[in-house]
Amino acid sequence: MSASFSREVVLDRIRRATPGAAASGAALAEAYGAQPQNYIRCGAMSAGERVELMMQRLREYDAEVVECAAEELARTIATQLAASGRWRFVAPPGLPSEWLAAGFDWRIDEGLTAAEIEGAEGVVTAAFCGVADSGTIVLHHSASEGRRVLTLLPDWHLCILRASQVVETLPEYFSRCAAREQGSGVRDQESGNEGTREQGNEKMGTEGRWTREERTKRLPSLVTWISGPSATADIEMTRIKGVHGPRFLHVILVKD
Amino acid sequence: MSAAGEQLGGRAILDPALAPPFPVAALAVLRDPQLRKNVAHAIDVIQGKRARLVAEKPDWQALRAAASWIKDEALRNLGLYLEEFEARCTAAGGVVHWAADAAEARRIILDLLREEKASEVIKIKTMTSAEIQLNPFLEAAGIGVYETDLAEIILQLGEGEPSHIVVPALHVNRSQVREIFARRMGIRDLPDDPQALTAAARQYLRGKFLRVPTAISGANFLIAETGSVAVVESEGNGRMCLTLPRTLITLAGIEKVLPRFQDLEVMLQVLARSATGERMNPYTSLWSGVTAGDGPERFHVVLLDNGRTGILARERERQTLRCIRCAACMNACPVYRQTGGHAYGSVYPGPIGAILTPQLEQLRHSQSLPYASSLCGACFEVCPVKINIPEVLIDLRAQVTDRQRRRAGRFFDPLYLGLRAANLIFARAWLFHGAQWMGRMGLRLFTRKDGWIHALPGVGGKWTETRDLRGLPQQTFHEWWAARKTGTEGTREQGNKRAEAK
Repeated sequence: MSASFSREVVLDRIRRATPGAAASGAALAEAYGAQPQNYIRCGAMSAGERVELMMQRLREYDAEVVECAAEELARTIATQLAASGRWRFVAPPGLPSEWLAAGFDWRIDEGLTAAEIEGAEGVVTAAFCGVADSGTIVLHHSASEGRRVLTLLPDWHLCILRASQVVETLPEYFSRCAAREQGSGVRDQESGNEGTREQGNEKMGTEGRWTREERTKRLPSLVTWISGPSATADIEMTRIKGVHGPRFLHVILVKD
Repeated sequence: MSAAGEQLGGRAILDPALAPPFPVAALAVLRDPQLRKNVAHAIDVIQGKRARLVAEKPDWQALRAAASWIKDEALRNLGLYLEEFEARCTAAGGVVHWAADAAEARRIILDLLREEKASEVIKIKTMTSAEIQLNPFLEAAGIGVYETDLAEIILQLGEGEPSHIVVPALHVNRSQVREIFARRMGIRDLPDDPQALTAAARQYLRGKFLRVPTAISGANFLIAETGSVAVVESEGNGRMCLTLPRTLITLAGIEKVLPRFQDLEVMLQVLARSATGERMNPYTSLWSGVTAGDGPERFHVVLLDNGRTGILARERERQTLRCIRCAACMNACPVYRQTGGHAYGSVYPGPIGAILTPQLEQLRHSQSLPYASSLCGACFEVCPVKINIPEVLIDLRAQVTDRQRRRAGRFFDPLYLGLRAANLIFARAWLFHGAQWMGRMGLRLFTRKDGWIHALPGVGGKWTETRDLRGLPQQTFHEWWAARKTGTEGTREQGNKRAEAK
């Protein structure tokens, strides 16, 4: 069987099995108007409660969390790094230089090999969003959040999350994704594309939704949702921290 | 070595074409107290955690309704969504392949590995690859296959078979794991605490992650509007396989597609809570095609039919394809709790396996599985995408029966003769009343003073062997009704009294 032959075979079977299918892509958008969305989309917490819940959830995952004011951030990072007892760190290229505390061995990821990243004792990154309800940190892997491998191989991950990036529910994160009002932890190429945003506004549908074409372009192409350090419960359901991903997750929550 | 260990070595048969019928396979497990203890412990832990987390979600039922709606919509327009996925994934640098059946999927994957000149491959846990029996096929072709999920390593090194779709090695306890790891990894003095065993697995795999340039994964979700793939995991072995190798091959059933990226806001909320009893699993990865400088340079998706379109075509059974493989149904199932997964003779055990496997096999095999249930409905109650498993089970039972009845030899089978006679009688009122009278007279001979029948002769004895039968009342409902209309109040009261007496 040739490859394109099987494609036609499978699609033909599907068409015969779904006689009620929409005739075109345009009709699909219609269908979505009927989706029941009476689950909780927006939370009801105050900003303070939201951050409190985020920290509580992170701690339940055995993550270390500290809070600090914006102007104390660089000092807090330095304290955290020192307390870790480690000194060889990697950082994504978009990380603000004032975050790179003096007195440590920094390697900036401008094409580091996996072995070089593996050799680091820790990594410091920004994040795209925090979801308080499940204590989830979301990375879109922009220049300040780093390539995927950067937050994977080192055993210790320090993540900087601003209070304004914390949402209460998972649906709120998805709304932020589509709207892209919120940039990444730090300004970088991800949030800078004004042209696209204005075009997007023009194309917004009457219900305030993006057209399908436009949404597709704006949605992230790489996402990692992190909820606590790597873990397994495969042996007798006993939760063990740190199988392959970082064993230690530290979070600094910046009040902004 | 315990019986569970023997079974681990002796390979439970998970090929539906070769597996013994469920009642036969279950018997071996029921005689193995260690295995039953391991299974019961594991599912008690998950069940407890799941129940706590679901209770804290005030909108749980709304989430289930939305999740089920989203999957239904994806299935209703499956062709369009798959084509959209293909177009977007291709535009993002991925290559999409279509496989009509298991053999074709295996061949596509082997061809891709040969193109890569791959002699080894690392794998993320994927039930779909177990479904198509990919590992033995690749190994026979001379390719070293390394599972990277802890439970899968335990099974691969211990030459065992998965007994659960989320925690595949839940039937193996720590001392059995210690024995397998010590033997196969060549570690002496390995203690049996899970911490040390997990560390041994990390050590064993670290080098492979950094060295092996080709990986195979499954998919939890395919997103049509972005051409992305999402993988949900806990350990980080998934992230390793998705980012370190040069080439990534993803095998996904065609039913995995979701229309929109935003649909994940529902799916991710219900999946982890249902599967492992966590608010969110530690890692979920989503990627679209290839990204320069980040992750694999070559990315292939193999879309697998293998019997799924047959399920899609049947109105009542279509809901089977909503399944997101969370395993909540098997954790809740009183039958699975007793038998564990191997008795189902398929990589998909439990209630979902009891409906999915026979359908994937087009009922050529696994005909005993629709009967491996008490129809209590616990699976339906916990299912995050609201699959009415009992409804499908009953429908499949009807199909199994229909097939058996059509066989020529079955014409004079006493059971079918009896059922045909019943059919005749129930269709005619005069025959029915006559039969009632005869039954009442006949059964009176066996009815004891307490109003119960404790033993019947002949075929009826099969019923009374394990349970008592209530004797027929002296008056049928019809007789009572007729008497009530023409007679006095007294009759009704007599009737009531008689009912109370029983």
